Formats: sequence, C-alpha cells, structure tokens
Amino acid sequence: MSAIVTPAPKRLRRSLGHNLRIAGGVIVSIVFLFPIYWMVLTSFKDQVDIFTSPPTFFFKPTLDAYIEYMTRADIVPRLINTIIVATGSGLLSIVVGTMAGYALARIRLRGAATIGVLILLSRGVPPIALAVPMFLVARNLGLTDKHITLILAYSTFLVPYVMWLMRSFFLSLPRELEESAMIDGCSRYGAFFKIIVPISIPGLLSTLIFSMILAWEELLFALVLTNRHASTIPVAIAGIAGDTVNGANWAALTAVGTITVVPVVIFALLVQKWLIKGLADGATKG
Amino acid sequence: MGTVNIRDARKSYGSVEVLHGVSIDIEDGEFVALVGPSGCGKSTLLRMIAGLEDITGGEIHIGDRVVNDVAPKDRDIAMVFQNYALYPHKNVRENMGFALRQRRVPRADIEQRVTEAARILGLEHLLDRKPRQLSGGQRQRVAMGRAIVRDPNVFLFDEPLSNLDAKLRVQMRSEIKELHQRLKTTTIYVTHDQIEAMTLADRVVVLNGGVIEQEGPPLELYDNPASLFVAAFIGSPPMNFLEGDLVDNTCLVLSDGTRLELPAGDPKGRSRITVGVRPEHFELSENGWPATVSVVEPTGSETQITARLAGNVVRVLVRGRTAVRPGETIHLSAAPDLIHIFDAAPVPEVAEMEDVA
Repeated sequence: MSAIVTPAPKRLRRSLGHNLRIAGGVIVSIVFLFPIYWMVLTSFKDQVDIFTSPPTFFFKPTLDAYIEYMTRADIVPRLINTIIVATGSGLLSIVVGTMAGYALARIRLRGAATIGVLILLSRGVPPIALAVPMFLVARNLGLTDKHITLILAYSTFLVPYVMWLMRSFFLSLPRELEESAMIDGCSRYGAFFKIIVPISIPGLLSTLIFSMILAWEELLFALVLTNRHASTIPVAIAGIAGDTVNGANWAALTAVGTITVVPVVIFALLVQKWLIKGLADGATKG
Repeated sequence: MGTVNIRDARKSYGSVEVLHGVSIDIEDGEFVALVGPSGCGKSTLLRMIAGLEDITGGEIHIGDRVVNDVAPKDRDIAMVFQNYALYPHKNVRENMGFALRQRRVPRADIEQRVTEAARILGLEHLLDRKPRQLSGGQRQRVAMGRAIVRDPNVFLFDEPLSNLDAKLRVQMRSEIKELHQRLKTTTIYVTHDQIEAMTLADRVVVLNGGVIEQEGPPLELYDNPASLFVAAFIGSPPMNFLEGDLVDNTCLVLSDGTRLELPAGDPKGRSRITVGVRPEHFELSENGWPATVSVVEPTGSETQITARLAGNVVRVLVRGRTAVRPGETIHLSAAPDLIHIFDAAPVPEVAEMEDVA
C-alpha cells in the first residue's frame, strides 16, 4: 500500500523544490536587475517625472537627456577614452598576467609561492593610498592626463587579478600536456603558445572581460591621474552627480550611466558562451 | 642508434635523494621494463631519460650522446603518458602529426605517416575526431600513434595502461608487444604491474627505494629472485614465505616449533632464514609439510588452495581439478631447486601490486 502512495508526495516535493528554486532565482534577479532597470527608466524621464512621489513607472519618455549629453563636447571623447583605456589595460594585463600566472603554476622557482602571495597582497592596499603617490610619479614623468598612464595604473591591480585567476586555471590543466609538447619538439615557450594558450582561450576570454569591466568602471585613478584629455566616463558621471552649481542632473546621470553599461552588456552577451565555459572549465579540468 | 646508457644516475629533490645511483645499459631494439612499487623512482628515472627532470648526478646517454643538458625536443624520443596527454583542441590527425609539423616535415609526408600509423592502430575512421569524443582505449591508441609517427630512437612509456579497465589492459598489452616486434624500436616501459613487465619486456629492472634490486630477463627473475623483495614482487599469486631457524641444514623450525624438512640445505650456511615457494611449485604428496585447507577456488584450468601451515597462510596452485575439501589436511612438497632461501626478513608488502594481476 505504502509503495503505491509514496511516489506522489515525493514528486510533489520535488516540483515544490523546483518551484522554490525558480522563485528564489527570480527574486535574486529582481534585486540585482532593478537598479539597472530604474537607471534606464530614469534616463528617459524629464525632471518632473523623476521627482514625482510616489515614483511613476508610466510617463511620457523623452530623449532629452541623451541628446543633451551626447552632443556635449566632453561625453563622446570620454567614452572613447574609456574604450581605449579598458581595452589597453585589459590586453596588457592579460598578456603579462597570463605569463606570470603560468610561471607561478608551473616553473619550479625558489620563492615562487612567496612572490605570488606578495603580488596578491598588493591588491590589499587601498587604491586611495596609491593614488597620490601615483599622481606624483606621473607628474614627475610628465605623464599626467595620458591614456598610457591610466593603462599602466589599472594594470597594477589587473595584473595580479589575471595572474591569480589564470594560475588556478593552469593548475587545473595536466602538466603532461606541456611535457608532451616539449617532447614533440616545442620549447617551453612553444608549448605554452601552441598548446596551453589555445586550450585556455575560454578562461582567457572570461578573465579579459572581467578585467576590462573593472577598468571600464574605475573612478579613483581616473579622477586623480587625468584632467581633460584622457578622462573617462566614470569621471564624467561623478562630475554630473557632484555638480555643485546646477545640482545633480539625474536624467543626465542615468543617461550617461546607461550609455556606459550598454557596451558591457553587449560584449558580455556576445561572449556569453565562452564566459560560462571559461568559468566552468577552471573548476574542472582541461 | 637507439641505445640508452644510464651511468650512476642520481636524483635529489632538495636534500632528499630519491634515486641513489642507477646504472642500466639498454641495447638497440631492446624492450626494458622498469618495475617497482610506487615511490621506487621508476617514473622519475623515465622522466630523467625524457629530459623532463634534471639529472642531479651521473650521466644518461642516448645513442652516442650524453643528453644530460639536451632539451627533451632534441633527444629524439617519444613518450606515452598515463593520462595520454592528448591535445584537447586538436583532432586525432593533428595530434599525431604535431611532432612532425614541429620538425617542419613536408605536409605530404606527415599525411602519409599519420595515415600509416592510423592504419597500424586501427584509427583510420577516427582521424577527424577530437580526443574527448574517443573512448579510453582509443585515446590510448592515439597516444601510441603520436609516438610511432615520430619514428624516434626510443619509446618511453609511463604506466600507459593504468587508466584502462582490466580487459582492455590485457588487449592493449598484446598490441604494445606486437607493435614492438614490428617496429623494433628501443622501448623503456614503466609500470607497477609485474605482469605487464613480465609479459612485455625482454629485460625487467626491479627498482625499490631508488636502487636496482635485480635486473634480468623476466623468467630469470622468476626462477632466481636475488632478494626477498624480488621474490615477493614477481609472480602471481605471490610466493609463499616461511621464516624460521635452519637446524642441521635440513630442518626448518618455525616460531611455534613446527619442524619442516628441507630437501636441500642452505649453501650459504645461514641459521635464520626465510624460505620461499611459489604456489604453482607446491605439489600435493603423501608426506610433505602438513597444512589444513581453508578455501578451495577452482577456475577450471587450475585450482587455488588456501591452507594454513602452523599459523601461516599458504597458497597452492594445482593444475586442473582437485578432490581436496576445506578442513582436510594436505601434505605439500616441492622440488629442491624450486625452494628459495633468503636472509630472514619481514616479507615486503606487495598487496599494492597484486590488485592489477
């Protein structure tokens, strides 16, 4: 008797658990996505709709904020600056960090572990503590307000990040792959570039994207090290938010914010397949 | 020339020496198995020959060259790894042709050699697959294919069959042997499985704790083990051992006082000895050593009897069938030249290697 009865509640429980998981997922998604949704929504409102209380979801959308800010002289160049700096620092860090991560993962080197930990520890230094010295160095070298300065500055925190991510990725690959390549006629460099790098492309891509996002949204160094010529979008946003003369222009703020997020989202969607594969691969094996 | 000469090879990690001076001379075309329990240094030695580990001391010659400081790629060797180490992003054809491409062999030649190797190994229909689309046995074959297209001076195998199931392992074992008979390339084969070593090799080198215990043709090791370790290691099921005092050179007195007659004395005149007899060398007779049968295991072609002899477990292997039943007392004897005598010592733990038998 019981054998006939038991399956039903079991199935019920399973579907209940399944529904709960979906509900949980929806709630978490709402928590994360609502601010972005609200930002996009606000960017299409005019000043009156923005300050309506309670907040309104239905209003007559306007592109005023976009038109105003996209035509202003400083936004588009700053967007271009951000692209240059994010791409430059992302690529530089991926090249340096990947090779460093490989060395830490594979080369038997006295003190390698210590070096690795020290580099990681450098990430523990608050960026604000580095900002002023970095500014002084840049000024003395005549490098303030230049793209290369930001690229180098961002690399100081991106390289350790890439290095540690790629190190654990390489540790998950069997050592015999390179050994086999080295017996097959490669030098260690050859084995790295011909075998390890191609296998690591998903991991490399996902790391590159995360690095570029970190650089894309960085404010502090950009604020300190740039002025007009190489200034980036986060600086512009901060400028709008902290405008003491006109007060914060929320529509403009959210419009620029939306413009900033869109390329990241498009990029992430384009490489989504690789991104997920990269994240999963690192955990298992090559 | 595919000769390999190892002269007093030593390997240390920091202050810990794991290989304590090993010398082996391998002739052109010879198949040598390095066998021993894990941690005996066999894989380390193979990796030193391959150039994947530095040589702390001594010299390794391949052909007429000292290769101590030669990069792996310039040693003209090919290696098959336990986990195959196939390049996951390349298909079978590219995996097998990779080494040739590195050497800038003309494309047509590569194609021809890959096709030939694939034919030998029965991989023709798999050439366009990626490694992840292959079964374990197929991957193993690709790994061998990758080695043979090279036509190297020396093949190195590092436990190549350990990741396969028992049935496939036996099959691939024969294939490796056939391949060697066909190509006659010098081969160094590392395994912890004495059966693999015995069945494949022209010569077996037994390593233990970083030194050579004994080396020689497989049957030489089986017939005349030089030490208790080799005696316990070679042969399956393993040799039986009885420790006791030798009295009057004809009588073995076990710890409980049981007296067993020895058909031949110890030429070295030791008084405290360990006597070893292989299960298949025991004969059931009228008046031998008395033992009480505990288990009888028939397999058709032979029957394994487990018995107790004065508290010692003794295994006996008899051909065909037997009428012996558990609880009965049997009498065991062996020809004098099949009774091995060693210095008394604890019998080495060999259970680890037995599982593969």
